[in-house]
Amino acid sequence: MNLSELELDALTEVFNVGVGQAAHALSQLANTTVMLSVPQVDVISKLNVSTELINQGADRVCAVRQQFSGVLNTEAVLMFPVQQSLQLVQMMVGDEVPLEQLGEMEQEALAEIGNILLNSVVSGVADVFKLQFEGSLPYVELGPVRDVLCAQGDLTDQVLSLQIDFAIETLQIHGFLLFLLDVESVESLKLTVERFLAAMS
Amino acid sequence: MNATIDPCNCPPWSAWVLDHLQLGLLVLDAGNHIVFANQWLLTHANLAHDAVIGKPLLEVFPQIKGSAFERALAQTIASGYPSLLSQTLHPAPLPIFLPTSQRGKDKLLRQSIRIIPSGRQASALMDQQYTLIQINDVTQPFMRERLLKAQAGRLKGLAEVDVLTALGNRRRLDEVLPQAMHAARKSAQPLSVVMFDVDYFKQFNDLYGHLAGDNCLRQVAQILRDVFRRPQDLVARYGGEEMVAVLPETHGAAALGLTEQVLRRVYALGITHQGSTVADRVTISAGVAVYEPGAELSPENLLKAADQALYRAKSGGRNRVCGPG
Repeated sequence: MNLSELELDALTEVFNVGVGQAAHALSQLANTTVMLSVPQVDVISKLNVSTELINQGADRVCAVRQQFSGVLNTEAVLMFPVQQSLQLVQMMVGDEVPLEQLGEMEQEALAEIGNILLNSVVSGVADVFKLQFEGSLPYVELGPVRDVLCAQGDLTDQVLSLQIDFAIETLQIHGFLLFLLDVESVESLKLTVERFLAAMS
Repeated sequence: MNATIDPCNCPPWSAWVLDHLQLGLLVLDAGNHIVFANQWLLTHANLAHDAVIGKPLLEVFPQIKGSAFERALAQTIASGYPSLLSQTLHPAPLPIFLPTSQRGKDKLLRQSIRIIPSGRQASALMDQQYTLIQINDVTQPFMRERLLKAQAGRLKGLAEVDVLTALGNRRRLDEVLPQAMHAARKSAQPLSVVMFDVDYFKQFNDLYGHLAGDNCLRQVAQILRDVFRRPQDLVARYGGEEMVAVLPETHGAAALGLTEQVLRRVYALGITHQGSTVADRVTISAGVAVYEPGAELSPENLLKAADQALYRAKSGGRNRVCGPG
């Protein structure tokens, strides 16, 4: 998939609208201000994603996955290094006691947080591009980066990748949001962005 | 308004199955009126069929007004994407109870809720958009996890306690000291560490036996606990007769003052010690080291500095405290 600089910038802007809505919903949930931003959207291989995460010292990640289907079909995967996912849940629960591990109950909380974020982001994108999707419920997975990334397909697959930066009080968390796309969906994404840019100019 | 699924299209057992599912089901029509509630839900909400069907959701469950559940429902219907409300973030959004509990002792169930809107395709096959609310009772897993966590916490606590003195042990010290130094850096407050050693303890053991030695250590430990009693203070047994106090937000002069108090109290215990060359009773020596935030110092080197101060107190005649530097 080759998207031009201009197309990637447009996508970055569109995604920032979506995370803005997510930040509002998460702030209500956390009872404190949650700020979210997407510094850059990229099209990279899964291999690059895993290398980047491993370089950050996060060989194990916690992922929230959801399917979206429509004009284009995609699986959205929101990933956090395990340690950061613990901090995120702790912050949302408002618990003083540091969590040692992600139990069943914490995983469900993370599923809810991911669900809010993914739904807001996808509905933001759907609104701007005038697309319609149907979504699935979230599903949480814990494991080594590569296992999580390669549930389907292989490491050379290209994905649409967004880094999502969370700022909650003094806490800084970097999550990765990936959209796994099949070949036809890549084409329709490119067409959609082109059409959107043409309508703007 | 109250459209129900055409019974002709349903297998004969469908209603029976829905009523015997061990989870709650609610179906709302496009106007948020309840068009279906299964038996599990009616039983656990203690509501009659007629009090529910055809009624607006907010009329049947007024307590959800303004709640996260109401927001999630509105969001789900607007976006068309399913959503999840976790027990951890919202323990019990709906008034659903354990059916067997006695009156007046109603036990709210812990709930995990999924809100599923009928998508465009499914809605097209029906007469309008419906919303399914699925409620799982997660009270038991919740209790089980809480119990496991409490046990884990207790075991961790036990693993970090010195059996003889009930002070923290070396493991606890190794865990707390780096955290305390980190906190000192963040708050820009000094951190004092004091190392204590009972004078001529080996001779005391030889003269009076190990039981008396143990007893002596317990009494000294109690004094340390009494003097360093702020919640943020930690006192740990470091080695045989060595003990360490970690004192956040405490500068050297304050630590010296408190340590002198410890020395006086140990002296006042009046535990006879004929093997001591400095007194007729048990005494202790101490060394104070201070961590000034900004200084490049590892926890090991901070302890070493306290140990060096202790050594100076020992070589300076014992039953005394030496400060930093």
